[in-house]
Amino acid sequence: MNFDWTPEQEALRKEVRDFIRENMTKRLGGEMGEEMEEGADRERSRALRKKIGEKGWLAISWPKEYGGQGGDRMSQYIVEEEFARVGMGVGGGGSGAGAILGAGTEEQKRYFVPKVIAGEMSFCLGFTEPQGGADLAGLQCRAVRDGDFYTINGQKMFTSGAHNATHIYLMARTDPAAERHRGITILLVPMDTPGITVRPLWTVQNDPPAPPGTTYGMGRTNEVFFEDVRVPISCRLGDENMGWFIGAQGLNLDRVGASRYLISVHMDEDIINWAKESDLGGYSVKDDPAVRDKLAELWIEAQVCRLMTMRSMSIVQRDQDFTYEGSAEKVMAPEHGVTASEAISQILGPYAQLLNGSEGAVESGIYAHNLMGAFQSGINHGSVQIMRDQVARRGLGMPRG
Amino acid sequence: MDILLNEEEEMLKKSAREFLEAECPPSLARDMEKDPLGYPPELWKKLADLGWLGLALPEKYDGQGLPLTHLGIILGEVGRAIVPVPLHSTMTAALTIAKHGTEAQRQETLPGVSRGATILTWAFTERDPRYVPESIQMQAVARGDSYILNGSKMFVDNFNVAQKCLVPCRTAPPSSGKSGISLFLVDTSSAGISHTPLVTMAKDKQSKVNFSNVRIPRASLVGKLNEGWTIVEHMLDLGTALLCAQMEGCARKDTEMATDYAKHRIAFGRPIGAFQSVQHMCADMLMWVDGTQLLTYEALWRIDQGLPASIEVSQAKAFGNEKCEAAVRYCQMIHGGIGFIMEFNQNLWFRRVSAWTMRLGTTYDHRGRVARALLDRPGPVRLGESQYESAPSR
Ligand SMILES: Cc1cc2nc3c(=O)[nH]c(=O)nc-3n(C[C@H](O)[C@H](O)[C@H](O)COP(=O)(O)OP(=O)(O)OC[C@H]3O[C@@H](n4cnc5c(N)ncnc54)[C@H](O)[C@@H]3O)c2cc1C
Repeated sequence: MNFDWTPEQEALRKEVRDFIRENMTKRLGGEMGEEMEEGADRERSRALRKKIGEKGWLAISWPKEYGGQGGDRMSQYIVEEEFARVGMGVGGGGSGAGAILGAGTEEQKRYFVPKVIAGEMSFCLGFTEPQGGADLAGLQCRAVRDGDFYTINGQKMFTSGAHNATHIYLMARTDPAAERHRGITILLVPMDTPGITVRPLWTVQNDPPAPPGTTYGMGRTNEVFFEDVRVPISCRLGDENMGWFIGAQGLNLDRVGASRYLISVHMDEDIINWAKESDLGGYSVKDDPAVRDKLAELWIEAQVCRLMTMRSMSIVQRDQDFTYEGSAEKVMAPEHGVTASEAISQILGPYAQLLNGSEGAVESGIYAHNLMGAFQSGINHGSVQIMRDQVARRGLGMPRG
Repeated sequence: MDILLNEEEEMLKKSAREFLEAECPPSLARDMEKDPLGYPPELWKKLADLGWLGLALPEKYDGQGLPLTHLGIILGEVGRAIVPVPLHSTMTAALTIAKHGTEAQRQETLPGVSRGATILTWAFTERDPRYVPESIQMQAVARGDSYILNGSKMFVDNFNVAQKCLVPCRTAPPSSGKSGISLFLVDTSSAGISHTPLVTMAKDKQSKVNFSNVRIPRASLVGKLNEGWTIVEHMLDLGTALLCAQMEGCARKDTEMATDYAKHRIAFGRPIGAFQSVQHMCADMLMWVDGTQLLTYEALWRIDQGLPASIEVSQAKAFGNEKCEAAVRYCQMIHGGIGFIMEFNQNLWFRRVSAWTMRLGTTYDHRGRVARALLDRPGPVRLGESQYESAPSR
């Protein structure tokens, strides 16, 4: 076991940090990370992404021939973590381009991956449907094959970023007669294909808008409707009816890593640093014994989240598969985020209600917005209940119910 | 950064597990709960022959000079198999002597430890149960070429079988803080020492030890006079990290046994482990022991690397105290009524983990320490970085 970074990795972290200090604000990072704010300055963010790309910091561990750097996973983690601190994703993730790298044809890899890395293309993720998301294998959106085409009909729900993405990574049912895991196909569909309609779903974070850095601060997600959407079979990722198995590894990777870790623990650091400086009319928060005990408890749990993330990364770096470790991390970190945001609400008392822009709001109201958003991390990409099922079944070999 | 076990560590763990599974059935732990010595000397000798007792001691004293993390792995397996041997107390004291003792003290104790001939322990707590300098009241007064010790110590592990004991005392009264504490290596057979066994939840061997005008040679001093606190603190951190390893191994085995039971015990026509509420208890148990293990390994690794580690040690113990206890409580619940029956083995693990959560610092003690490091130090904290005042900001 080794818990240390190499000197090269330390130097890389410092270089990235310096770059961010010189080139970025939190606000700009937030726009680039989520690409869904109305008024986002696209020209500026594209230029910045280009600059980051020239540094060789985008998709470090992805192969060179597809626009990556062919580097090691831990270095990529470091860069991801530093950029995630200002709300920007530079990794690539598991679903979308990550899955194409794993299962795509040579042509698909060359077509999509470099452009996704450069920020010229992006995927929204079409998993969830109105009737349910946790039970993903129950999806009903249909794709019917006729000759060299599929015709898609159905609806997706909570499709974040659909209004900005160039493509949707769509899970659709191609064989309704088969066992449900064996009738699903992944299609990479251009969003400008005729028959696709995107409608906004505004979240509790929209009015006023949550400040950058909020845990699940997105103000908007979407519904996406498919009406006789016709796409060529070259849009298919991997074999027909194998979508469940092709998608699984991507989903696993989406559950772990720098972004999931930071959205769950960043508030621990922030509240401690706030408490160290704060004085509320003579009340020194950091000297309150109950607060001290709680902050230490949160910090310790945050360390468990960090180490579980490092464990997952160590496994990925060794090119091994998760048994249950990714699912465990996806319970521990999101639930910690909830515990922390609730504890902070009791540390701040009435100040914790104040939203972004309010008179008296603490740190732009981020703790209030965190409280509204944190639980969402425990729902998305596999809810904590489903993740616990996986820990029990895969980690401990327990029987299905 | 690769926090998984490497090949050598995996092999050590595997061979330790195989050896202990063959040598140490639960009945041995049960027998030793009633045994006056509390450990089987033949097994202790075998551990010495395997090289475990000298594993982390310097080669110069017949040890193997292997990393502390290796010893942590062994203690995890010892906890797993609830092996009734005085390994934890002996190692805590031996490693402290190896680092801070005089050459004569090392020669006199460490080769004996490696050989299995010498058992060691340490005695900190008096009336005040916290691990703070203020709780040391016992006096040592210099007289001629001796020190005279007066006072008493509680919760001393394996004193009944130890040859030597590390004892922190006040040497500069009326001091009460960190200064004025000195550490002594005391022969347990010295005149004036008496001890009373305590009846404990784990049915292990702990004693209250009385020192009444005990005369020990001047050469018994470990480290500098009146400056013993840093050594004591280091010893406690070391002991705490090793205890966390033992506690984690013990809680993990209990988790595995409870999970196995849940797969076979039938209720309402199916295994209770097929009920989601039971599955989720088991998932939590696994995540809690994993969390304890990750924190513990990081603490042991830092100590081994010579890095400051008090925060990591406290993180491991604070988390482990709460979560290992919760895990073994779930194990009891999954076993229903049978978990409460003395003759059934499950409680052997439950009683040990529970007892260890109470020793070497409570959850509150350790969180207090973490809070001081986070809140009473100037400048901001940053996740993933060293929070030590003196450490270079990395
Ligand atoms: C802001 C936001 C962004 C999102 N972005 C996307 C996106 O980009 N793409 C996408 O496809 N989806 C996205 N989602 C959807 C998200 O993945 C789903 O909300 C999630 O999968 C849960 O599905 P559901 O909302 O239909 O709840 P349900 O599936 O109805 O679940 C409701 C509750 O029942 C529990 N439950 C379900 N089954 C079980 C079981 N077997 N045992 C125990 N408990 C169970 C769940 O854990 C949950 O607590 C997003 C959601 C939000 C709110």
